[in-house]
Order: sequence, then structure tokens, then C-alpha cells
Amino acid sequence: MSSLLEARETIKQFYGKHGIYVDPVLKFLGALIALLVINGNMGYMELLNNIVIVLVVALMCSFMPRNFIVLVSALFVLLHTYALAVECAIVVFATFLLMFLLYFRFTPKDTKIVLLTPLLFALKVPYVMPVAVGLLGGPISVIAVSCGVAVRFMIRFMKDNFTTFSAQDAETGSQKLRLMIDGIMDNKAMLVTIVAFAITVILVYTIRRLSTDHSWSIAILVGTTTDAVFLLICEFMMDLNFSVLGIIAGSAVSFFLCQIIRFMEFNVDYSRTEMVQFEDDEYYYYVKAVPKVVLAVPEKKVKRINRQLKSKPGKQVRKASTIKTAHGVSRTTTARAENDNKH
Amino acid sequence: MINEKRVKLMTRMAAYEDGEFRRHKAVIGFFRSDYISLQMVKTVIATTIAYAILFGLYLMYDFEKFMKEIYQMDVFQFIKTVVILYLVMLAVFMLITYVVSLYRYNRSLQSTRLYYGNLKKLSQFYQEEE
Repeated sequence: MSSLLEARETIKQFYGKHGIYVDPVLKFLGALIALLVINGNMGYMELLNNIVIVLVVALMCSFMPRNFIVLVSALFVLLHTYALAVECAIVVFATFLLMFLLYFRFTPKDTKIVLLTPLLFALKVPYVMPVAVGLLGGPISVIAVSCGVAVRFMIRFMKDNFTTFSAQDAETGSQKLRLMIDGIMDNKAMLVTIVAFAITVILVYTIRRLSTDHSWSIAILVGTTTDAVFLLICEFMMDLNFSVLGIIAGSAVSFFLCQIIRFMEFNVDYSRTEMVQFEDDEYYYYVKAVPKVVLAVPEKKVKRINRQLKSKPGKQVRKASTIKTAHGVSRTTTARAENDNKH
Repeated sequence: MINEKRVKLMTRMAAYEDGEFRRHKAVIGFFRSDYISLQMVKTVIATTIAYAILFGLYLMYDFEKFMKEIYQMDVFQFIKTVVILYLVMLAVFMLITYVVSLYRYNRSLQSTRLYYGNLKKLSQFYQEEE
């Protein structure tokens, strides 16, 4: 445990010292992963699938504000959709615009949640998102998570109906548009996921704010379990085509990932909890103080055992000559002889 | 000799200056009523565009059916419904904007006051040192 704490402090110290270099690298990696996942899941426009373009855009993102990654990802999604069908692009563009005008204008910080949710879906661990948002954010972020889920199911719907949308003559423009809107509005799986995630976010947020011991751990456990159980019940009742194994395995992995988040963000020692009570003119105060677990990182000290004397060449010669004298040699030999006699 | 308290105060202030200070300063550059009014105007524009998009999608969803029915429907009633829905949506978002803007303005004011208070403290440190 202490080694983990040490590692955490080392990471924090490292980020504190080299944050100016670490931030662009993280942004680059984030943008690269996001764009590669988008290309892997959509990839309808050949030009954008070129790795050089992806690298150049990711490099651009590393020097721009964080929300630029979201903007670029949205643009990639839009261009891929445009390559598939103009009607789909209209619906996707309208959805993005509505999200921005009605919600993200108020909370620009939440835009990253919209990007991360579909990414985590692609990485098969989407159940981290509602629990993490409940732990680190507020209940209002439910809207951002819901938007992320909607984007994911929109992309999935286009992927599933690729042949219908890509056919030139089979469907007219208005039919494609209607199909796309129906795909978003009448998607039961999407609605169930949104409800499950919303319940999880609110539940986790409520529990982790309680003053009971281990509230964060309880919140993670209850949140992950509720999410999984709700999705499984809905799957059995409505046959939504969810993977049962995927839900169970994904929830288990999410539980461990959320424990890492808890370890990094909220690590306290409940055994040293202090209950304090005091008063002033107007109030009585009942305070519960829980100390944070902080471990000082030991500084590495290099102790030199063999002292290397830096001396002039002339002196070295003199030293060598003293070593070579018969006195020194005879002294050691005599000392050894005496020791042998004693034994 | 380094004054530890002063260094801590300066660090905290520098962090604030680098982060939220600019945004807060821009907010409190307005009077409260002016700031909220400006946000309201922005909301009216944004909500109008959003409503236009939603209405456009509604029309495009089944345009042929709509064109067939337009000659049979009560157009005034239809327009009335569209306008009422628009006003309801506008009212909801204006209420949200009012609450959010008021909260943001008050928070910016508090943070900036704290910052200027810290500036005074800092100048006191310098005076004491002299």
C-alpha cells in the first residue's frame, strides 16, 4: 500500500514539475486515440483515414485548448457522416448544434464527457463514465453523459445501417432522413442506457457526499451494481440486444478503474477520524475531520563510499611511490603474519 | 530572508490570475443587470436557432405528408401552436439563464473581492518588511 501511495505522490510531483510538457503530450495522445477510434468505427471518408492527417491533427490539438479535441472529433464524425449520406450529416449536425446551443453553452467544461462516453463505449468499458461523473462531477452532468450516449448510439445506428444509407438509389433523401431520425428517437437501447446512466450518476453523487465512512467505495460499489442490474433486467424484459457477458465484465473492469480514480482523488484514513464539537455565538458545530493519506516521497541520496581524490598528477606520483615503499608492504605482511599466529 | 507567508499568498494569487481571473474580471466588468441582460439576449438568439432547427427537422421528417395536409389544416391554429411551443421553450431557457448568470456573477464578484483583499495583504507584507 505504501508503495502505491509513494507512486501516487511521485506522479503528482512529476506532473507538478513537468506539467508544461506533460499536458501537450496527454492532449496529443487523447486526440490521437479519439480520432483513431472514430476512424475505426466510421471511416467512410477515405481521406480522413490517412494516418498522416490523423497525426497532424492530433499534433495541432496538443497546442490548442482541451475543447479543441472535442471540436475536431465532432468535425471528423460529421465529415465521415457526410461521406456516408448527406441526410445523415444534416441530422448529426443538427444534433451537435442543439447540444451546443441548449446545454454546452452553459457548461463548456462538460464537453469532454460527450467525447469520452462514446470512446469508452468503443473500449468496452462505458460503465466507468456514470460512476466517474458521479464521483468527480455533479448531478447536472447527467445531461452531458446522456448526450454522449446519444452520440454513441447515433454512430452505431449509422454503422448498422451502412448498406441502406450508402445505397444511391434504393432510398430517397427524405426516407433516409426519416430513417435516421427514427433511429435516434425510437432507439429503446439508447433510452434504457440513458436512464441507467442517469440513475447511476445521481446515486453515486448522493452516496459519495454522505459523511459516512468509506462513502466513495460504497458509492462505486452501489453505482456499478445498480447500473449492471438495471441494464440486465431491461435486457431480459425488452430484449435490447445487449451483451450480458459484456455488461458483467465491463462493470467489473469499471469497478476497478473507479477504485483507481478513488485512490488518486480521495484517499483518506478513516482510522484516524476525529469528531470535534465546538460553538460560537450563533451555532453549535459537529465536525468530522478525516485526515488524508499523504506519504512523503523519500529523496534519493547518493552516498559515496569510495572517495575519489582529485589531485594533481605530480602528487599522484608521490602517493604511488609511498605505496610502493617497503614500509607499507612490510607493515601489512607483518600484520597478516601476527593474525595467523593468533589463530 | 524569504517571507514564507508572502510567497504562499503570491503563489495562490498567481494561480488564480492564470486561471479564472480573466473570466471573472470580464464578468464583473458589467453591472449585474447588464450582464444578466446580455446573457438573456444570447439565450434568445441560441434558443431561436435551436427551435428553428427542431422545427426544420420536424418539417423535413415527413415533408410530403405535411404539404398534403397543409391545405386541409387550420393554418392559424398550427402557427399558434408553433409560437406557443417556441415561447414555452424560450421561457424555460431564459429562466435557466437567469439562475446561471446570477450565480456566476455573484461567484465572480466574491472571487475577485478575495483577490483584491489578498493584494492589500501583500502590500502590507511589503510595508512591514520595509
